[in-house]
Amino acid sequence: MKTLLVAEFREGKLRAEYSQLIAFAQQQQAEAAMFLVGSAGEVPKFNGTLYLADAAKYGEYNPTVHKQLLLDVIAKEQPAQIVFLHSSYGWDLAPRVAVALQAAQVSEVVSVDNGLPVVPVCNAKLRRTIKAITAQTVLTIQAGAFGMEAEPEGTPTVVEIDTGAAGKVQCTGYEAAKIEGVDLTKAEIIVSAGRGVGKPENVAMVQALAKALGGEYGASRPVVDAGWVEHNRQVGTTGSTVTPKLYVACGISGAIQHLAGMKKSDFIVAINTDRDAPIGEVANVLVVADLKQFLPVLTEKLGAR
Amino acid sequence: MEFTREIYWNVGHGFTTLAPMYGLLLVAVAVCALGFFKRLKVYRLGQPLDRTDGRGERVKHMLETMLLQTKVFRVPGPGTAHALFFWSFFVLFIGTALIVAQADFTDLLFDIKFLKGTFYKLFSLTLDLAGLVAILMLTGLLVRRYLIRPQGLVTKGDDALMHGFLFAILITGFLIEGARMAITEMHIPQLAAWSPVGWGVATLLAGLDEAGLRTLHVVLWWCHLLLALGFIAVLPFTKFRHIVTTSANAFFADRGPTGKLTTVNLEDENTEKFGANELGDLRWKDIFDADACTLCKRCQDRCPAYATGKPLSPMQVVNQIGEIAFTRPDANLIETVGREAIWACTTCRACQDICPASIEHVGKIIEMRRNLVLMEGEFPGEEVMAAMEQTEVNGNPLGMGYAARGDWAESLGIKPLAEDPEVDLLYFVGCYASFDKRNIAVATSFVRLCQAAGVKVGILGKEEKCCGEPMRKMGNEYLYQTLAMETVEVIKGYGVKKIVTTCPHCFNTLAKDYRDFDFDVEVVPHALFLEQLVADSRLPVGGEEFTCTYHDSCYLGRHNGIYDAPRKLIRSMGGRIAEMAKNRDQAFCCSAGGGRILAEEKLGERINVKRVEMAVATGAGQLLANCPFCLTMFEDGVKGANVEEQLRPRDIAEVLAERLALKNA
Amino acid sequence: MNILICIKQVPDMESKFKINGEGTWYDRADLAWRMNEYDEYAVEQAVRLKEQVKDADLTVLCIGPDQVTEAIKKALAMGCDRGVHITDPYSAKREPIAIATMIAGFAKGKNFDVIFTGMQSQDRGSAQVGVMVAELLGIPAVTTIVGFAYDNGTIQVKRELEGGSKALVTATTPVVLTCQLGLNTPRYPTLPNIMKAKKKELLPLAPDVGGLGPRQETTACAFPEKKGGGLVLEGEIPELADKLIQLLKEKTTVLA
Repeated sequence: MKTLLVAEFREGKLRAEYSQLIAFAQQQQAEAAMFLVGSAGEVPKFNGTLYLADAAKYGEYNPTVHKQLLLDVIAKEQPAQIVFLHSSYGWDLAPRVAVALQAAQVSEVVSVDNGLPVVPVCNAKLRRTIKAITAQTVLTIQAGAFGMEAEPEGTPTVVEIDTGAAGKVQCTGYEAAKIEGVDLTKAEIIVSAGRGVGKPENVAMVQALAKALGGEYGASRPVVDAGWVEHNRQVGTTGSTVTPKLYVACGISGAIQHLAGMKKSDFIVAINTDRDAPIGEVANVLVVADLKQFLPVLTEKLGAR
Repeated sequence: MEFTREIYWNVGHGFTTLAPMYGLLLVAVAVCALGFFKRLKVYRLGQPLDRTDGRGERVKHMLETMLLQTKVFRVPGPGTAHALFFWSFFVLFIGTALIVAQADFTDLLFDIKFLKGTFYKLFSLTLDLAGLVAILMLTGLLVRRYLIRPQGLVTKGDDALMHGFLFAILITGFLIEGARMAITEMHIPQLAAWSPVGWGVATLLAGLDEAGLRTLHVVLWWCHLLLALGFIAVLPFTKFRHIVTTSANAFFADRGPTGKLTTVNLEDENTEKFGANELGDLRWKDIFDADACTLCKRCQDRCPAYATGKPLSPMQVVNQIGEIAFTRPDANLIETVGREAIWACTTCRACQDICPASIEHVGKIIEMRRNLVLMEGEFPGEEVMAAMEQTEVNGNPLGMGYAARGDWAESLGIKPLAEDPEVDLLYFVGCYASFDKRNIAVATSFVRLCQAAGVKVGILGKEEKCCGEPMRKMGNEYLYQTLAMETVEVIKGYGVKKIVTTCPHCFNTLAKDYRDFDFDVEVVPHALFLEQLVADSRLPVGGEEFTCTYHDSCYLGRHNGIYDAPRKLIRSMGGRIAEMAKNRDQAFCCSAGGGRILAEEKLGERINVKRVEMAVATGAGQLLANCPFCLTMFEDGVKGANVEEQLRPRDIAEVLAERLALKNA
Repeated sequence: MNILICIKQVPDMESKFKINGEGTWYDRADLAWRMNEYDEYAVEQAVRLKEQVKDADLTVLCIGPDQVTEAIKKALAMGCDRGVHITDPYSAKREPIAIATMIAGFAKGKNFDVIFTGMQSQDRGSAQVGVMVAELLGIPAVTTIVGFAYDNGTIQVKRELEGGSKALVTATTPVVLTCQLGLNTPRYPTLPNIMKAKKKELLPLAPDVGGLGPRQETTACAFPEKKGGGLVLEGEIPELADKLIQLLKEKTTVLA
C-alpha cells in the first residue's frame, strides 16, 4: 500500500513529529513518500521520496496553496492513504484534500485494528472503528499514538514542487506562548500536590517529580488556599479542568470538586496512604504509600533512565 | 394637708403661658408632621407592598416590641440600658401628659384634680426615679458611644445632638423641680421625700435666694418647654425618628414564612426588568427600613461575611439605600453597594433575626443579585456560571451525569419510585448526598436508620433534580422556577404524602418556597424525623456517653427555629454537647448558604475555618452537623485549620447509625 | 452583514455512555444533552460581531432530531436573530461530508460574510465539517481560532498552535472560522433575551444531501480496554517505583 505522509514546518523549523507518521506507515508495512512545505536546509530523515515546496515562497500556513501543492503530488503518487498529524496544521489541511479527492477522512487515529483505523470519540470514553469505502483515505493520527522505537534515519530523495495557486489568507506572524501564568489545561503531564504533602516545603518533591516526567505541577484546593502553590495551578471545579495524558495525584483524597477537574485525564496515578481514598475510584493505579518517601525514590529512578 | 403641687406655679396659668405654649406646640407638631410627610414621599418612590394583613396580630406585635422592648433585650448590655431609658422617658412622657390633662382640661374645665394625695406622692416618686434612671442610662449609653467606642459603631453629629437634647431635657427638668421644691416643699419633708431627686437638687440650689430661684425656675421652665417642643419638631430630621419609624416597622414587619423570598412573576410577558438596580425597583418598605435603622450594628456584628473581611455590612446596605433615596435617587444601587458585598451574603439571617427594628436585609441583596443574573448574566465568578449551566444540563450543579443520581442507593435495597411507588415516605436526597462521597455516607446512614425502624423509603433516583435553592439565592429566579415546577410535577405525579430530607436547604425550599406552586406535601427534616423515631422507641438507642459539639445550621436554626429536637436526639444517643459560644440563634454560618456553596471564597479569612476553630475551642472531638453544606464546609475547614487530629465533622444521622451498630445488609 | 453560526447538540460528556443495539454508536437513552462546547464559543463570537457591526443579521443553524431545538433556543437567547433547524432524525449516522453538504446547501446563495462553527464536536470529534463547508462553498477557512478582531471587512484571527504559541492570520470576508475553546467567555443568557428568543423565527427544513453517497462506515463502537483500571499497588517503596514506571511505559505514551 502506498501512503503519502504530510510533514510539518513551523517558525522556521521542521517539526520532529514527522517520525510518528513514519511509525504509522511502518506499522502498516506501507510504502511511504513524504510531502513538506518547508526548507531544503532541514529535511526529514527517511529513505524515500520527499516532495518539498519552499515555505519561504509559499508560507508556513497557507491552506489553499498547500492544498494545491499536495493535490498535485497526490495526482502523481496516487497513494491509497494520505496521512497527516492530527495537529493545528493537519486538521486544517486534511479536510480540504478529502473534499477535493471525494475521499473519506478518518480523524485522530489512535490505533489500527485488523487493518481498520480506530479513533477516540466522546472525550476518549469510546473507541470507534471505521472502514473507508472510497479508494483513497485521508487520515490524521493522534499526537503520540504512534512512535518510533529509534530515532529516524536516512536521506530522502528530494523532489522540488511548485504551484501557481494563490492564497486566500495571510499568516502574518507568530505570538510566543506566555511563560508566566502556566496554563494547566494545555499540559500533557501534571503532577498535583494535595494536603497529604503536609508542609509547604514538601511541594518541592511534587515539583521535582513533575520535572522528571517533563510535565507541570498542580495542586488541589486546600494546598492553594494555604498559599503553598499559586492559584493558577489549582485543579478542580474552582481552578482548572485538565485533560492531560498523565495525571499523578499526590496526597489528594479526591473530594468531588477536585475529581471533577481532573477525571478526564487519560491515565491517573494516585499516591495516597489511604487505600479507600475516593480518588481511587477514578485512578488507573493507586499506589498505597507515603508520598514523602515514595516521590523522591520515583523521581530518582526516572532521572536515572 | 393635701399632698399636691401647683401646676404652672411661678410660671403663670393664664393666657400669656397657655397661648405661646399651645401655639408653639402646634408649630412643633406641624413641623414634625411635615417632616414625616416629606419622608413619606420618598418612601413612595418604592414599589407598593401590602403589609396591613392581619392587623390585629401586627398591632399586637408592634406593641410587644415597642412597650416590652423584647427585641432590644436580645443583646442584654446596651439593650437593658436602652429599655430602661425608654421606659423611664415613656413614664416621664405619661407624667407630663397627666399634668397637661389636669391643668389644661380636667381642672380648667371641670375643676377635677387627681394629682393629689397618695396618687400624687406615687406619681412624683415614679417620675423622679424615672428621670434618674433615664439620666443614668443615658450616661451609660454616652460612655459606651464616646469613651468605650465599640468596634463598628458609627457615630455621627446626629448622635451628639440627640444626647445633648435628652440630657438637656432631663437635667432642666430636675433643675426646675429642684428650684420649685426649694421654695415650696423644703418645709414639708413628708412630701419632699416623695421627690427624692428633686429634693437633692433643691438642696444643691439652697444657696440661691428666692428671687434667684424663681428666675431660675421660670427661665428653665420655658427652656424645658422649648427643648421638649424642639425635640418634637426635630424628630423626623434626626435619628429620633426611630421612635415612630422603628415602631411602625414592627407593624409592617414580614410575617413570614421565615426567610421566604418574593417570587418573581415570570408569566407576565410584559415584564422587562427583573431585580433591582435602581431605587424604583425596590419596595417602599426597603426605603422605609433605612429610616427605621438606628445604626445599632447588631446585624453587622453577627454577619459572618463582615466578620471575615468581606466588604459586606448588612447595616451599610440598608443605609446606603436610604442615603440614595433621600439624597441621590438616580444612583445605581449595585454600583453603590458594590458587587463584592452583594455576592458575599450567605443568607444566614443572623442580621434579620437580631434586628430590633424589623428590617429586612436579605431581600434587598437578593433583588440586586436578581438584577445582575437575570439582566446582565453576571455571577460572582465563572465557577458559578458553570454550576448554573451544569444544572441546566444535568439537574445538579456538580456536573455529574443525571442518570447516575440514584446509583448510590443501589446496594441498599431501596428503589426509585419509578420502579416501586408504594412507599411510606419519599427521601428527597439532594445533589450532594447523591453524588459527593462524603455525603453519600450520610444518605446511606439515613436509609439504614429508616430500614431499622421499619420505614419503607423510596427515592426519585434519576428523576430527582436539584431543588433549585442555591440558584434562587444566587438570583437565578428563572432557573429556580424551572427546576421547582419540574420537581413539583414529578413528586405530585407519584402522589407522595410525606417527604424527608437530609438537607435543610432542600427542606426549606420544598416546605416553603414550593408553596407558590401549589405544593403542600408534608416535608420533614431528618433531625426531626429521627428524633421522632427515637422518641417513639422505633430506634433502639443508647450506649456509652461521648462528647461532641453541635452546629445549628442556619436553615434549620434561624430559618426554622429548630434548635431543641436535634439536641434531644443527640442526648438520646448518649451525646454530651459541649456548646460553642455562638450557638442556637447566634450560631455562626458555615459560609455555604446563599448559593455560595457554588462559589469560591476569595476575600478575607475563610468563614468555615473560623467556625471550625470555634468548634475546636470547645474541646469536643466531634462536630455534629445536620446539613450537607455544613458538613462539606467543615471537612474543608478542618483541613484548612490543620486540626484533622482534633476534630471530626459528622452528620447526626451517621452518628446515630453508628450507635445502633447497624451493619451492611 | 450576514452571519451564520452552525451548532450541534451533543450529549453531556459526564453522562454514562452505553453502546447502542447496533454496536455502532452510543445509545441515546439516559443522556443529558447540551450545545457542543466549541459551538458555545462560536455563538458568543458571532453575537459579539453582530453587536460590533450593529447592522447585521445572525442565523443559527442546527441539524438533528426534534430535541435539538433546545440548543437552537439557547443560541437565540444568547443573541442570534433567527434559527434554522434541519430536521434530521438520522443526523447521528451522517458522515462529516454529509453534514457539510447540508450546511453548504443551505448557505449557498445567501451571501454569508462570516460562517462560524466550533472546531470540532465533543462526540464525534472529527474536526472536518467546518473546513468542508468552506471547500464546498469555495471560500477560505481558518481553523482553531482563539482570538478574533473585525475591522471593515478585514478579519484578524489568532490560531492556537501546539505548545501554546499562536499564529496571526488575516482574512477577508467571506470566510469560515472554526472556534477553539477559550476564544472568549460565552455569555449567560439574560432573562429578557430568553423570553425574546421564544418569539424568534425557527425555520424547519428537510435534510438534503443531494446525491452524496457514503464514503465511510463505522464497523464498531466500544469502550476502550481499561488500562489496568483500579489497580492497587502496595509494598516496598523501591519496588513500587519500578512497577509504576513499568506501567507508565506500557499504558501511556509519556515515557518515551
